[in-house]
Amino acid sequence: MPEAIRSALAIAGKDLRLEFRTRTALLSAFVFAVLTLLVFNFSRDQSLISTTDLAPSALWITVAFGAVVAMNRAFIIEREQGAFDALLLAPVPRGAIYWGKFLANLAFVGLVEALTLPLFVLFFNVPLGRALPGLLATLVLATIGFVAVGTILSAMVVRTRFAELMLPVLILPFMVPPLIGAVQVTARLLGGRPLTEVLGWLRLLVTYDVVFVTLCTLAFTAVVDE
Amino acid sequence: MTPLPAAAPIIRYGRLLTVLGLLGMAVVYLLALRYTPVEARQGMAQKIFYVHAPAAWGALIAFVLVGVASILYLWLHDPRLDLFAEASAEVGLAFSAVMLTTGPIWGKPIWGTWWTWDARLTLTLFLFLLFLGYLTLRAAVREPVERARFSAVLGIMALVLVPFIHLSVYLFRTLHPQPILLKPSRPSLPPQMLRTLLTSMGVYTLLYLGFVTLRYGIGLRRAARLREVDDA
Amino acid sequence: MPELPQNGAYMVAAYIVTAVILMGYAVSLWMRSR
Repeated sequence: MPEAIRSALAIAGKDLRLEFRTRTALLSAFVFAVLTLLVFNFSRDQSLISTTDLAPSALWITVAFGAVVAMNRAFIIEREQGAFDALLLAPVPRGAIYWGKFLANLAFVGLVEALTLPLFVLFFNVPLGRALPGLLATLVLATIGFVAVGTILSAMVVRTRFAELMLPVLILPFMVPPLIGAVQVTARLLGGRPLTEVLGWLRLLVTYDVVFVTLCTLAFTAVVDE
Repeated sequence: MTPLPAAAPIIRYGRLLTVLGLLGMAVVYLLALRYTPVEARQGMAQKIFYVHAPAAWGALIAFVLVGVASILYLWLHDPRLDLFAEASAEVGLAFSAVMLTTGPIWGKPIWGTWWTWDARLTLTLFLFLLFLGYLTLRAAVREPVERARFSAVLGIMALVLVPFIHLSVYLFRTLHPQPILLKPSRPSLPPQMLRTLLTSMGVYTLLYLGFVTLRYGIGLRRAARLREVDDA
Repeated sequence: MPELPQNGAYMVAAYIVTAVILMGYAVSLWMRSR
């Protein structure tokens, strides 16, 4: 299958270069993340809610919505460039197209998260320390889940009239299981609990990822074929 | 193109079943309000159970059928499957609306709180949102074949999602001891209660069949009309 | 024997809401099928 893999990587590379040329998308997702973190901090009652209590929710809501914003932009830019139809004419296996877009979205969202995480640590006085590897693993796993579902859904809604509203409406129920898992793991890790305690949740995240990446890869054909 | 069955007889049949179902509901109301005994500890509010629980069941059946029809559509490409899925989703929306409204009305007197994130209520909320998303997607995609394909994909994704929702809510709850609420105990139901519950479930099933048939007929007629316009 | 809670109003509300939703949907379908 090396041909398909090369196609996927080529598509991913092309998509990413598109993103960097339109840096506004990256910038808007990042600004959104920063503002969300700010709002979280200023909307809490300092005497009642400690930063440690609020931190996991703040991080994950920011990540989740930031991911949706980012994925929305990605497909819309593509549509504006008219490149998508040209891509479909090429004899590329549909699964490879999905993986190309999936990887590009993953990199894009991952970049937004990489920029957001240090700010999160800063604003919320998060004691990272030993929690960092587990936290990074959770970020990767949850993001894979978000992006797997978001890629196929945005492919469906990109040509509808209210595309930017449709994606959040459709994707939010799908984001809940990885979100619950991610918040639980983050809360425990930041609370100093060992990684062994959160294995159940991590297994849930991994299973979710495997199932949905597979499903979406297979289903993508139905979405793009005439 | 697959020829579509005639809509008119299906609509007639659907109307008949719906009327029977509604009459059945009237019977259930009578049974629940007059025939069943009043539960000593929970009072009259316990009787909400007879209209609440079967609605949840109906919503779940509607949901699973949307998923199954979606899988079959992607395999067989029969537009009738797509129209059936659309009908089942709409009916499921109605049933989950019943569940979501009667749930809190039941919860307040029995559990002391309007909402609890318990497995069943949470799951129904998700079913409601998924039905809504499914129907919203359908409304947003103009071209019929594309709409059918996209809806089918979403229907399958939603079906696969539900076990994960259930699992994560369950894990969430077992690790988060909920406040001690006034739990209605579940001893074996006295015969009148059991009979009324079973009757109610039967009636809801009948109502589901009636609604789905009628809605399917409406969809058929609309599709047939669109084809006439296309052919003209 | 503990007192029976007076929560009949909730029951009435729930039964009315259910009837409204189901009847309302039935009427909507009926009108759309004409």
